Order: sequence, then C-alpha cells, then structure tokens
Amino acid sequence: MDLFRRFFSQPGSKPPDKPAAPESEPEIETTPLAPPASPASKEVETAPVAVDTNTPAPQTVADGATRPLPPETVISSSNEHLRFGQSTDVGMVRNSNQDSVFSLFTTSRSSDQRPDFGLFIVADGMGGHHDGEKASAMAAHVVASNVAANVCLPMLRGENDADRMPITEALISAVQKANADIIAKVPEGGTTLTAVAIVNDLAYIVHVGDSRIYLITKDGLEKITRDHSLVQRLIELDQITPEEAVNHIQRNVLYRALGQSENVEVDALTRRLPPKSKLLLCSDGLWNMVTEDEIAEIVMRYDSPQEACDKLVALANTHGGTDNITAIVLQIPG
Amino acid sequence: MPDTTKFAATDNDNSGESSLQANIVLMKRYKILGVVGGGGMGTVYQARDLNFPEVRKIVAVKEMINPNTDPALYNSTLKTFQREANILATLNHPAIPKIFDFFDQNDRVYLVMEYINGNDLEALLTKTKELPVEKIIDWAIELCDVISYLHTQPKPIVFRDLKPSNIMVDSFGKIRLIDFGIAKIFDSGVKKHTMIGTEGYCAPEQYRGDVTILSDIYSLGATLHHVLTRQDPRLAPPFSFPDRPISQHNPKAPDALVAIVEKALEFEPANRFQSCAEMKSELEKMRLQPQVVIGGVKGTGLAGTDFFAGVEASGAIEPKWKFPTEDEIRSSAVVHRDFVFVGSYDTNVWAVNLSTGAFVWKYPTHGGIAASPAVDDSNKLVLFGSEDNTFYAVDYRNGRLNWSYTTQDKIRGTARIATEVDAVFFGSDDGHLYALASPNGRFLWKFQTGEAVRSRPVITNEVIIFGAESGEIFALGLDGKRKWSYRTRRPVTSSPFVDKVEGICYVGSSDNNVYALDASSGYSSWRFRTNGPVISSPIVEEDLLFFGSADGHLYAINAQTSREKWKFATDKPIISSPVVHQGAVYFGGTDEYFYCVDMQTGKERWKFKTNGAITSTPCIANDVIIFGSFDKTLYALPLVN
Repeated sequence: MDLFRRFFSQPGSKPPDKPAAPESEPEIETTPLAPPASPASKEVETAPVAVDTNTPAPQTVADGATRPLPPETVISSSNEHLRFGQSTDVGMVRNSNQDSVFSLFTTSRSSDQRPDFGLFIVADGMGGHHDGEKASAMAAHVVASNVAANVCLPMLRGENDADRMPITEALISAVQKANADIIAKVPEGGTTLTAVAIVNDLAYIVHVGDSRIYLITKDGLEKITRDHSLVQRLIELDQITPEEAVNHIQRNVLYRALGQSENVEVDALTRRLPPKSKLLLCSDGLWNMVTEDEIAEIVMRYDSPQEACDKLVALANTHGGTDNITAIVLQIPG
Repeated sequence: MPDTTKFAATDNDNSGESSLQANIVLMKRYKILGVVGGGGMGTVYQARDLNFPEVRKIVAVKEMINPNTDPALYNSTLKTFQREANILATLNHPAIPKIFDFFDQNDRVYLVMEYINGNDLEALLTKTKELPVEKIIDWAIELCDVISYLHTQPKPIVFRDLKPSNIMVDSFGKIRLIDFGIAKIFDSGVKKHTMIGTEGYCAPEQYRGDVTILSDIYSLGATLHHVLTRQDPRLAPPFSFPDRPISQHNPKAPDALVAIVEKALEFEPANRFQSCAEMKSELEKMRLQPQVVIGGVKGTGLAGTDFFAGVEASGAIEPKWKFPTEDEIRSSAVVHRDFVFVGSYDTNVWAVNLSTGAFVWKYPTHGGIAASPAVDDSNKLVLFGSEDNTFYAVDYRNGRLNWSYTTQDKIRGTARIATEVDAVFFGSDDGHLYALASPNGRFLWKFQTGEAVRSRPVITNEVIIFGAESGEIFALGLDGKRKWSYRTRRPVTSSPFVDKVEGICYVGSSDNNVYALDASSGYSSWRFRTNGPVISSPIVEEDLLFFGSADGHLYAINAQTSREKWKFATDKPIISSPVVHQGAVYFGGTDEYFYCVDMQTGKERWKFKTNGAITSTPCIANDVIIFGSFDKTLYALPLVN
C-alpha cells in the first residue's frame, strides 16, 4: 500500500483524516487478484533528489501511519543525466581490431519533456580477409542508423502512437536489417551484436552472440545477456561446469551470430535501471580475460565511466589480451 | 591473416590444398573421374577401377589429408587409420557400403569403396517440399537396423556422427550409411577461432567426451527430427529440439512416431531407448498399428500418462452453488469478506453469501449493469456504475444508498478505488474519466477523452492509466492532468495491467494488438499481434502475460520478449480476462465454457459448460471460483486442479 501513500503528497488531494480500517485485515479487496506490490523497502529508499518547482511542498502529517513520502525521483526532471565511457583495443596478440563500438546519447530539458535517449552498441566480428571488421562495422552502423530513424527522431518530434514501431520491435528489425546486409555484402563475415537503447531509466536490450551486458550495482554484478555459445548451452544443461568451459575445445563455437543465415533470432529484453547502477557492454576479449569480480570492482571503483573502461581494457591486456577488447560503461544517475 | 573462421564446415586447415584433377590414376588402378562431394574432413571422388577394363566399374575414393608434421604423430595417425579401415572392410551389411581398398600416398590416405548412386538426406530435404511420413518411418527402421548392427559387433562400433548428410538414399530408395567416423582421426578437434554453427546432431554428453551407443540414438533422433520438421538443428541453439515440437511443424507425423523420436532425444542417456533394436521394434509396432483416435485426442501408443484420463470434460465438476439473476451477467463479481457482489443486466447489483450462495440484498438501478462493482472497505461501500448514467455508492452491509453521481451518458467502466486518498476513478460513455471523493461522491475532476471510457483505470506510481474508445491510452496525474498518451488504431476497452516492479503497462486494443508501454513515459516497448480485437485485460504472472483475443485464443506470451509460449484455442471470441491461481489459468469463453488451463503448457485441465457466453473475469476466494454467465447465473465452482 506504499504506492497509495505517495498520493498524499500530490496537489489537490487531501490527507486522509483517519487511519485505514484498523479492525480489518491489512489487504483491501479493491483488486481481488492483483499481484503483490513491490517491496516497500525499495520504494522508501528512493531519495528526494529533485522536486518539480511547480509542485507545492508535500504536506506532512503528524500521524505516523499516514506519513507522506516524497515523490519518486524522475531522472528527466533533474539536471543529472547518464554518463558513459567507451574504449576498444586490438589486444596483445591479434594484428587487427575486428570489434566495432558505437555510442550515442542525447539529453535535453525543455517544456516539451523529451526523454533522455541513448544507444550503445558492441559488435565483435569474425571472418578472414578483413571480413570480420567489415561485418562488425556494418552491424554497428546499420543498427545505429535504423534505431536513430525509427526511435530517436520520432521521439524528438514528439510522436508516440501505434504508427511508430515499438522500441523493441525497432531494435530487432534494425538487427535483422544488419544481418541481411552482412549476408548480401560480406558473405564470409559474421559478427556478434549487443545493443542497448536507453529511454530515461528503461533499458531496451537486443543481443546476438557472445558479447555481454552486465548490470552492476553496489550489491554486485548480474549478467543480463545469455551467450549464444555451445559451452554456455552445455553449462545451462549441467553437462559441463563453468570451469570446464574455460578450456573446452569448442569454447569458441557460437550457435547464433549475424551473417549466419537469412533468419536470425534476436534476444530482446527490457530492464529498469536502478539509480546509481552501471551497465557494462563488452566483447569476449574482456570477459575471457578479466574475472567478473574484477569487473565489478573496477566498474564500481571509478567515478568516471571512461576511466573504468580504460582500466578494464588495460587489465585484459595485462592478463594476456589474446583477443580484441571492447567496453562501454554507462553510469545511471540517481 | 585470418584470425577467425566462419562455419564449422569450412574450418578445414587443408582447404588451401587443391583436389585431384580428373584423369589422374591412383595406384595404377583408380582413374579419377570427378569430385562428388567434399565433407568437412576430405574430398570424395568418383573413380573408375581399371582392373575391370571390360566394364565400367565405378568406385568412390575418399581422400583424407594427414595434417601432422611431427613424424611420430604422423605415423600413429596413419596406424589408427589402417586399423579402422581394416575393421570397416570386414563389415557386412546391406546399408554399409563395401570397402574395397585403402592406401596412403603423398601425405594423404585413401579409402576405396562402393559408389552409391543417390542423394544424401540433406540434399533430399533441399530438393523436396515434403517427404512422405511412411517413407521416413521405413528409413528410420533401416537406420535402426544398420546402427544396431554396428553396435552389436564383437567390439561395438559407435558411428558418432550420424546426420542427414551422412545418410544416402540409393536408387532403390534404401538407406546407406556413408562417411564413417574414420575421418575424425585426422581432426584434432581443437577450434582455434570463433566459429558460427554447431554440429547440431551430437548428444550433449558427447561434448564432455562421453560417447556411447546411446549417443548414436540421440543423433538418430536428431536426424529424424530434422527430416520430420525440416527445422535445421545447426541453426538453432544446441539441444533445443523440445522447443520445436514435431507436431507443430509436421501435423502428419503420427503421435506414436513423435513419441519415439522424442524418447530418442531424451537428454539423459538413461531415458532414451537403450538399444537401436528396442527403438526399431517400437517403430515396427507403430507401423503395424492403425492410428487410434479417441475424442480428438490421438493415443500415443507409448507408455505415458494420458493427460485427459482424469477429468472427462464437463459433468465432473458440480458447482458449489448457483445464484440466478433476472438477466445476463456481463461483468465480473467481486468478493469481499463473506459477500459476493455482482451486477446483472436486470438492473440490479446483487449481494450473495460467499459460502452458501444465499441472497443477502439487491440494489436496483434504472439501467443494465455492464460494469463490475468495486469495494471500498474503509468506507464500507460497494461502488458501481449503471447504464442509467449514474454511479452509485451503496453500503455493502445492507445495500442502502450512500451517495450517487450522475454523468451525461451510460456508465460501462469499472471503477478503481484509491483507498488511502479516498478517491474513486471511473469512465463514462460521455467521454470522461471521473474522479470523485469516495466517502461522499464530491466531484474532484474529470478528464475529457472525446470518446467513451470503458476501460478500468489502473493506478501506479502517481499515475492513473486507462484506455478510451478513441483508441488512446492515457496516463494522468492524480490531479487529472495528462502525463502522456499513446494512440492505438482502434478503441481500447481492455483494462491496463501494470507490472509494478518493472513499471511496464500491458494493455489490449481492438486493433488486435497487445501493447507493452513504459508506464512512466508511455513509449511502447513491443506489441503482440493476434487475429482479433483484444478486449480481455492482460495479466502477468511469473514473467508470462496472459490474455484472450476475439480470435478465440487465450495467449501466454513472454512478457519480456513478447514471444508466444502457447495459445489455447476455443471456438468463439474470448472477452473474459484470465486469472492465474496456483499454476492454472482460469477464464470464460463466449463459447459458453469456463476453462482451466495449465499456465506453463497451455494444456486444458478441465472445462465447465454454462448455458450462455461468459465475458466476466473469474474471481477466486476461499477455494471457490466465481463467475457469471449470459445464462443469467452466477456460478461458484469448487477449486480443483
């Protein structure tokens, strides 16, 4: 019922003059089968960073049971915004960098209330004769231009209706266009593609291959993409242990990538990003070389996302740098 | 320099080596005529055996390259080859090509064998649109027979690499096994570079080096699955055959065959057939039996629990009680404490005892009741709108009017109460969403949409979200000011559902789609298209989104990815909103049935026949399910799983 409490702080609504039905059981049957509300603690933690100046200050009521909560922080109402860093390196062994990386972030404050928008892409190419780098570059730019056209520009124009492609649909369609282009123009090349579009604090993720996205908070690190690799499948099916996977003879076999076949299945998911959390996009050249504990430690230690990216790449090189290394770190305000 | 290589099939370190030219003669005996195929491990030539000058005896010559440069390794590989070739030469089975000769020359080894005129199964899959199931069953039996022969050798031979491209269908339509694992001797197995594509047919245990005859049975199952479904496992996640049910891709495949293939594909070796002979005898048994079809459910022929054995359609379930009203029940009942409240098109809202179904009170209005009642416990009120344009607040203990408020048109929208701010929100056909103080009916504000509002508002994080017949979905602040809107192409009668953890709002539209919108910004994440208007309100449970469509299906889709998990077909549109309780989904159909369906599989658990369409959302309390029907009756069914 914490959700309702927040109503008290709203203009036009009066604080109730009596506590809610003391003799009855706590749950009130207005919605007989509604799912449980989110844990109260989560809601309470949210700090009142910014209050819209047009809103009168919340009324405070002495009665502890009905004490108002400050309004939820909305990122777009503050001057804080997402910050990002981006770093890529050929590594210590390879003689070309087949990874491609793309970052775009827009933020504005106006009476029009446009959301902050970001698009971040990591692609890890494969194939000889420069086919790998061509494929990953094509993937990054085809996805970027399509998402810009179908998501970012309509948002700037203030269009929001069923004539626009929904964001996830636009992302998936952009990845499929990139796949078709690679098959047509770089038939011997292939690439992974992991991209995230950010609208305020909501992340829309699309993913093919074994580049990864980690969500890192003070509570730890969570891998939110699933590698499309043979060894990952074997681990999921309890056939091998993660330790065995490290040295498995088929550890480099992907079962899904762009450039493989006409129809590519794209993993898609959305995640609400907690305030102060960080998101890391990286190619396997990073996660093969740097442990998840090290990743979490470095990402949380550096306030500057660019510095965190540079340190991650440097550490991967220190550990051998057997592959190209790419990292994007996003720092969510809060 | 290539750092990475694409595709396993072309990952051949010797791909640079040229193949033999035509007319070259090997061992002064085999005259090369041309290349017939190149597998992953070597080239196969068609050659003429010059020992038969009078006739044109054609043989196949398989060439493999010894990749080892270290002399000791080179020689041990060669020895292994000779040992294996000797074994192959002693095999005698009609489905195994005869080995005539083998030799090594210039770092290469050659195997001379019977030339088979025909197509491999992979080529057949490409060339044909459909293969007759009877033929596939014949091949399956022949394959079991030949693999069983290999497995029962004094020293059992595991084929290891069974797949469509290793199976030929000769000019007599008979199966022939080619490309024995012998070539693998020359493959180190180490994949140095990132590659796309897996073998697709290998058993999971093979990847940890655990190869037995049971691995061949898995590969046989994988091959049959590919041939039956025409879904290439090399393009899918490894070991994901259960995600592509045969029955879905090939309705002609008999259930018994499906069951046999599924058993061969069991993940745990111990759950598969324990020998090819066993699998063969199941196939033969199945071929002899006519297909048994009972009540639309085909018998599987294999051991397994019959899902429908327990409950036979309707009749098995007796309502705990029934309560008759005087006209159609179109809206949903609400349970509060001992009361069930339900509106009827007979103009009354009825209060009924939850445990007995006994009449408690009724409140008459001047129009049909199309909206569901809502309970405000702190003010002891039940609130509802009527087609007489008026919104009523009645004391739920005795049915006495507390207050009423009249709008400019019929009220068909169900109210939402924000208890702790003592406000009630509801839509009217006069085109407004109203906010009233729930203790006394005092007008707070109204929001104009232009068209009727029949969708029930939902409240989350300071916003009220609802749909309008204009096709728009609106989000208002608690002060009635618009925060965002999203326009669909047809009226939105469905009520939004908000996943409060992720802040995603799901809502159906008469434009046939269900939309996922960011509840804080209104931007759409995805939409899912059905073949009819979605009036039913979605609900999320365990990451699955459930809703009905006028196309007659109840859908379960992944709320994250919008991918369909299952759909359940009924004969008529589904208007009722589903309810999930303990692993089951409950909903009514306009086909007059009330359904209980397993939430994970979409399989029917039971159904209950009424005498009218069911458009109301069920309500579950105290182990009873309560819903109304167009047959004027309110039903309370015992909760059985």
